[in-house]
Amino acid sequence: MLLVPCPNCGPRNQSDLRLLGAAVPRPNPNTATRAEWGEYLYLRENPADWLQETWYCRAGCRTYFTLERHQATNEFRNPPMPGDKVGNSTYTTITVGSSGKQAGANEGDRK
Amino acid sequence: MALNTCHIDTAIPAASTLDFFYTLAMVSFRRSNPGPVRYSAGTLAKKGLSGDDWPRVWRDHELKSTYDVVIIGGGVHGLATAYYLATNHGITNVAVLDKGYLGGGGSGRNTAIVRSNYLTPEGVAFYDRSLTLYNSMAADLNINVMFSERGHMTLAHTDSALRTMHWRAEVNKLQGIDSSVIDPQEVKKLAPSLDVSSHPRYPILGALHHPPGGIIRHDAVVWGYARGADHAGVHLHQKTEVLDILCEGGELADGKGAGGKVTGVRTNRGDISAPIVVNCTAGWGSLISNMAGVKLPINTHPLEAAVTEPVKVFLPTVVVSGSLHVYVSQTDRGELVFGASVDPLATYSMRGSLSFTEELAGHILELMPGISKMRLLRQWAGLCDMTPDYSPIMGFTPVEGHLTDVGWGTYGFKAGPVSGEQMAECIATQQTPKLIAPFKLSRFETGELVGEKGAAAVGH
Ligand SMILES: Cc1cc2nc3c(=O)[nH]c(=O)nc-3n(C[C@H](O)[C@H](O)[C@H](O)COP(=O)(O)OP(=O)(O)OC[C@H]3O[C@@H](n4cnc5c(N)ncnc54)[C@H](O)[C@@H]3O)c2cc1C
Ligand SMILES: [Zn+2]
Repeated sequence: MLLVPCPNCGPRNQSDLRLLGAAVPRPNPNTATRAEWGEYLYLRENPADWLQETWYCRAGCRTYFTLERHQATNEFRNPPMPGDKVGNSTYTTITVGSSGKQAGANEGDRK
Repeated sequence: MALNTCHIDTAIPAASTLDFFYTLAMVSFRRSNPGPVRYSAGTLAKKGLSGDDWPRVWRDHELKSTYDVVIIGGGVHGLATAYYLATNHGITNVAVLDKGYLGGGGSGRNTAIVRSNYLTPEGVAFYDRSLTLYNSMAADLNINVMFSERGHMTLAHTDSALRTMHWRAEVNKLQGIDSSVIDPQEVKKLAPSLDVSSHPRYPILGALHHPPGGIIRHDAVVWGYARGADHAGVHLHQKTEVLDILCEGGELADGKGAGGKVTGVRTNRGDISAPIVVNCTAGWGSLISNMAGVKLPINTHPLEAAVTEPVKVFLPTVVVSGSLHVYVSQTDRGELVFGASVDPLATYSMRGSLSFTEELAGHILELMPGISKMRLLRQWAGLCDMTPDYSPIMGFTPVEGHLTDVGWGTYGFKAGPVSGEQMAECIATQQTPKLIAPFKLSRFETGELVGEKGAAAVGH
């Protein structure tokens, strides 16, 4: 079980959250080609490397946010801190504290 | 239960005659290059009595600088493709490259369930061909694969699940597959240890029964294809990691991507030039095709499994429960083998988790309350290349010479033989065979998905 550094709640059990995968921009429905729709619906980056992913803190603060996770080691890098701009909202709740920092302490690119 | 044993192709003559004959034979044998030896009780006895070496199952070779076909991935898919290329089409200048050891990926980690009771007509026809090949495999590959045709039962705990079972049974019957819906009393007859009362939270309302399904000795399947391919002249290279696919003429950097063609591969042991490079790397599939500039709609998820201590045989059939996310079968040695759906987290890490065993134990006890004291011996994980429609991605890609046989998710072991046969035909004839045409990569652009989630999410 992973400890996921939620920017609001601090580290939480993976089972409290839902991983929605990499965020993909929606194409313009008036101009998009079949290939672009196919790409939007189905193609995902699947690197054995760092990846930006969207998470939903379903059993906690119920917010959506982006985290960077290494897909082979499952480490998190630079998790957002209160006050950071994440997605469309700015986090202001101060509950992260030092534990939040700890969970994302692997600053270096450990590949 | 059909237990196939290896073939005895010669009667064993008296030891002294044999000894004499073999001393003579060995003299000439040692001088010439020791080629592959056919396994049989006869050769075993001869070798034993002559004191000569029992040859290795497959040979090591120097890496050549050119091959006609390079296959990346030494699991059942890569090895079967090589085997059929050599035996069905006479294409023997073939290399299979694996970064680890043969069968070290999903092919050595799966729970060995084979069946053909899928949901779409395309899927049913395809997997049924594999069952046919499995049925004669022990004879074809001359190896004891212990195919146990013990039947396969998918439980329904809700009305909607029961509806899906009826749907599947009808699709199956139309294709001539032995598959039908049975009621709880029949379920009890087939697997007396199951709780078919109305007490459980998810009572058993019926099941889809598929008598031709069963389990097989997965390692032997891998070794059988490896040995067969080796004997036919294919080079098997272990500890040979592909680092890059070399291309020219494509729209992306270094000539990769659509419109270009493959010229070879770069490995940790040097470059190989080859006009055809096949991706048979399952969980690692997107990394490999990316090397040619081809993006695949695949996410890699771990799938976990576990096995108990051995006990006397009490479960004569394979039991799957979609609602409870578990399945179980008992090996010939008496261990219960359990599995579930993939871990929800996409990752290349194969580390097992406690949450898996916890959930597994809870769910299995709802089905079989009587086994609560049994000990789990081991748990492990393998990587699964999940596609959006739970069907594979087979055949040509926008890069000439780069073919894929990936997207095998949690269900690709049973597909090994038919995939190898069809991919070999695809490579040899440069045309997509009918059986695999529905699994083309371009279906994700045209929307012609082959939705098998209802038949493959939990039952593999
Ligand atoms: C726990 C578990 C249970 C399963 N149960 C079933 C089941 O009951 N029935 C069923 O049909 N299927 C089952 N499956 C799925 C099945 O195991 C796989 O779909 C199947 O084995 C895939 O075979 P493959 O030959 O394509 O790939 P693999 O056997 O995974 O082989 C891929 C190979 O590619 C090699 N490779 C990777 N990258 C490189 C590189 N860069 N260079 C060189 N080599 C490389 C790897 O070392 C590996 O050996 C299960 C899977 C798991 C994990
Ligand atoms: Zn939260």
